[in-house]
Amino acid sequence: MARFKNKNKKALARPVKNQPSVDHITGQKIPKSFVFSRGKLPGPLRDLELDLRKLMLPHTALKLKEKKRNKLKDFLNVAGPMGVTHFLMISNPKSVPHLRVARTPQGPTITFEIQEYALAADIARSQARPSCPKELFSNSPLIVLSGFGSGGQHLKLTTIMFQNIFPAIDINTVKLSSCRRIVLLNYNNETKLIDFRHYSIRLQPIGVSQRIRKFVQKHEVPDLRNLQDVSDFVTKAGYGSESEADEESATVSLVSDLGRVNRASTKSAVRLQEIGPRMTLRLVKIEEGLCSGAVIFSEFGKKPDDAHEEEDHED
Amino acid sequence: MAAELQTLAAASVSRKRKPDHKTGKKPSKRVHQKASSMAAAKPRKPSRKMRKLFRKRAREYHSDEEEESDEEPSSEEEESDRDLDVMDDDDSGGDDEDDGEGAQHGITRFVEGCRAFRVAFMKIMKKHLPDDPLGPILSAHKKLVAEKLAEEVSEHKTTAEMKKEKQMEAEKGHVKPANFLDAREKLLISVATKGVVKLFNAVSKAQNSQSGLNPSGSKNAKVLAKQRKQAFFSELQKPTTQSCDSKSMDKNNELGWAPLRNNYMLTSSKLKDWDKMPEAAAVVDHKQVSSESSSDEE
Repeated sequence: MARFKNKNKKALARPVKNQPSVDHITGQKIPKSFVFSRGKLPGPLRDLELDLRKLMLPHTALKLKEKKRNKLKDFLNVAGPMGVTHFLMISNPKSVPHLRVARTPQGPTITFEIQEYALAADIARSQARPSCPKELFSNSPLIVLSGFGSGGQHLKLTTIMFQNIFPAIDINTVKLSSCRRIVLLNYNNETKLIDFRHYSIRLQPIGVSQRIRKFVQKHEVPDLRNLQDVSDFVTKAGYGSESEADEESATVSLVSDLGRVNRASTKSAVRLQEIGPRMTLRLVKIEEGLCSGAVIFSEFGKKPDDAHEEEDHED
Repeated sequence: MAAELQTLAAASVSRKRKPDHKTGKKPSKRVHQKASSMAAAKPRKPSRKMRKLFRKRAREYHSDEEEESDEEPSSEEEESDRDLDVMDDDDSGGDDEDDGEGAQHGITRFVEGCRAFRVAFMKIMKKHLPDDPLGPILSAHKKLVAEKLAEEVSEHKTTAEMKKEKQMEAEKGHVKPANFLDAREKLLISVATKGVVKLFNAVSKAQNSQSGLNPSGSKNAKVLAKQRKQAFFSELQKPTTQSCDSKSMDKNNELGWAPLRNNYMLTSSKLKDWDKMPEAAAVVDHKQVSSESSSDEE
């Protein structure tokens, strides 16, 4: 009998306890999201879906169970009581895989073509020292949108959508230790493609040799076999390839201590390492409703309003 | 000699079978004719017309046989070839003679056919076969088998291709990143870094100013007061709702109604104006009212 339990119903019945829907400090509503697929997906795209879920953590359903017979309405019905505000839907029609980002329950829906994508595993494989600790995912990522200012209304709408998909940051109260990840959306005006990247943020003190940093960070007994004197450990710098490449632009001075190494008094360098999925998106369509309703913007001609004539000229 | 005897026996049998065909002369004539035909058979060749006919018949025969099972058509075909040879020998011999000997024709043909078949079979068996991947298969069939095998291979290929196609379809758009950072990625990282730095600087600025503010200055005091007010409200939201809930819990223990749940009020943005409500004492009632109204609106 347990086999036939309706999972949706169960989810409905279970109250959400640990996740408040409102930020306690700022009092703003926390956006939550569902990432799911429409239709059957091939293996790599299913992995991409999982990666996206991980990216959307912590305010998402990581283990959302979806079935073939689940309709959009089912998700919508669950979304209401759970306070889910955004849907990310991956579908794989014959032509190109698509990503739809929608606000619930009213819309709008933004449809992207996924022209290229790389999974988190692919990226980890391509790196010499991939690191993706679990603590990264206990806080939601920052989002950086760049290059969106130049375009028309549709880009503005996209910007707003993506800004609202993660909880807003209050500069006065935010703890820097909670900013561990960043999602970058870079709009290229020439190709009209959006680069979607996901990085982890690391802070490293400047002017400290790698050995000492490692020593402080890891609390391990260092290897002193090759040294003549203990002082060499401090004075002799290793092959600090990283620290040499520090740019002035990538340094910040912190308000408070961050971890063991990054003191408020010293300057720290921001290091980004790519994690998570990488996508190249193309904005195709914006609909008014949730996967329905009037088309506000369409990439392929057929503009409904006069307001979009400018974009026509641009094209 | 043995063949002659056989023919004799066969003739007698045939006569028994078909009694209406008897003529007095027949046996002797038959023997004679047979002997003569045997003698004449070797040098004589079938006329062109007949050969053509036989070829045609053979073709028809093949076309029928091809649909049947593996070994049969080839061997039979050989056999029939021999048979036809003999037959045409016989017929050409019969050309010279009088009519009315149709029955004997069949018989001789059969007997000769037997012999011919034996010869043909022996010939086939003696034949040294070259090593062939297809095995010892006769020529006509060889072609067929080869065709069949080729077809199978092509079919196999098509399934493999289908699989490959499917794989390609599934991997569409999937790109394995390079092991190095190319210019584009570097640019993107620098953009992201810039964003992070901007944010961190803004945060440090805001929080530094917050901590560095002196309540003595009038401006600072104002700002601080504003901030404090915000903080105060944000702080207020928690305890009031909790107390509120505890009170309402005391009043009615069943929590079935949605507005009475712990987090219900938190989700509504109406909390902003809660301080404009008249009395602190009436907070609970008002809240319930407001929540009712909000639920109505929704």
